[in-house]
Amino acid sequence: MKYILLMSGTKAGVDGYHAWSKQDIETHMAVLRSINNELTASGEFVATQGLAGPQEAKVVRGEKNGLPVTDGIFPESKEFLLGYWVVDTATPERAYAIAARISTAPGPGGVPTNMPIEVRQFATYGAKA
Amino acid sequence: MKYILMMNTMKAGQGVPDWPQKDLQAHIAFMMKLNQDLREAGELDSAEGLSFPNQARLVRAGKNGVPVTDGIFPESKEFLAGFWIVDVDTPERAYAIAARVSAAPGSGGVPLNMPVEVRPVMSGPPPEMS
Repeated sequence: MKYILLMSGTKAGVDGYHAWSKQDIETHMAVLRSINNELTASGEFVATQGLAGPQEAKVVRGEKNGLPVTDGIFPESKEFLLGYWVVDTATPERAYAIAARISTAPGPGGVPTNMPIEVRQFATYGAKA
Repeated sequence: MKYILMMNTMKAGQGVPDWPQKDLQAHIAFMMKLNQDLREAGELDSAEGLSFPNQARLVRAGKNGVPVTDGIFPESKEFLAGFWIVDVDTPERAYAIAARVSAAPGSGGVPLNMPVEVRPVMSGPPPEMS
């Protein structure tokens, strides 16, 4: 079964992350890379992406004539998707365990961030690529 | 450049919309045609729909690294319903595709005009983080 692990944060959280020391950021990224390597080795890795910051986000609606209308104004409290992993696991519990590992990635001073990770199963109906 | 197009819904959407079957079929057919057009144009990287919010879990690591799951979300939370990753030459092209997604037909065939969030996908961690 395919699950998506969504890592979200607010603009304030992203600004805080950019204030981490270089060493803390390197340690954090090294742990995430190591998780990706392990998932690849176990055959559970499907995809991962990091997204550009909220300042580059636009909200688009189709107008009556079908032309895009973009809007880059977001409330401060809005949660933004920072990045995601897609994993293919035998059970939901295994997907939760992987999410917990990501949640323990170290933050400033090596202390686990314990950030919440939203876990969702892919729909098996509807339009597929 | 790669862009992600994200379709969000509020928690109220806990299941298949209460639309006539014909309208649901028209909506799905619209999305399948869109994906086919993007694939033929060489612009489609991937597209996925997600299960409904009632199957979502929020996971944190407990002290011993054991997952702690929680299915309680605030009423105001937006949920990702699905996404497309497209590989296009300009941001304007990504916005045009998002506008097409936005105009997908809803109940009675009326365009939903739902908001679609468009963000560049990073090709790797920013230089200072790698």
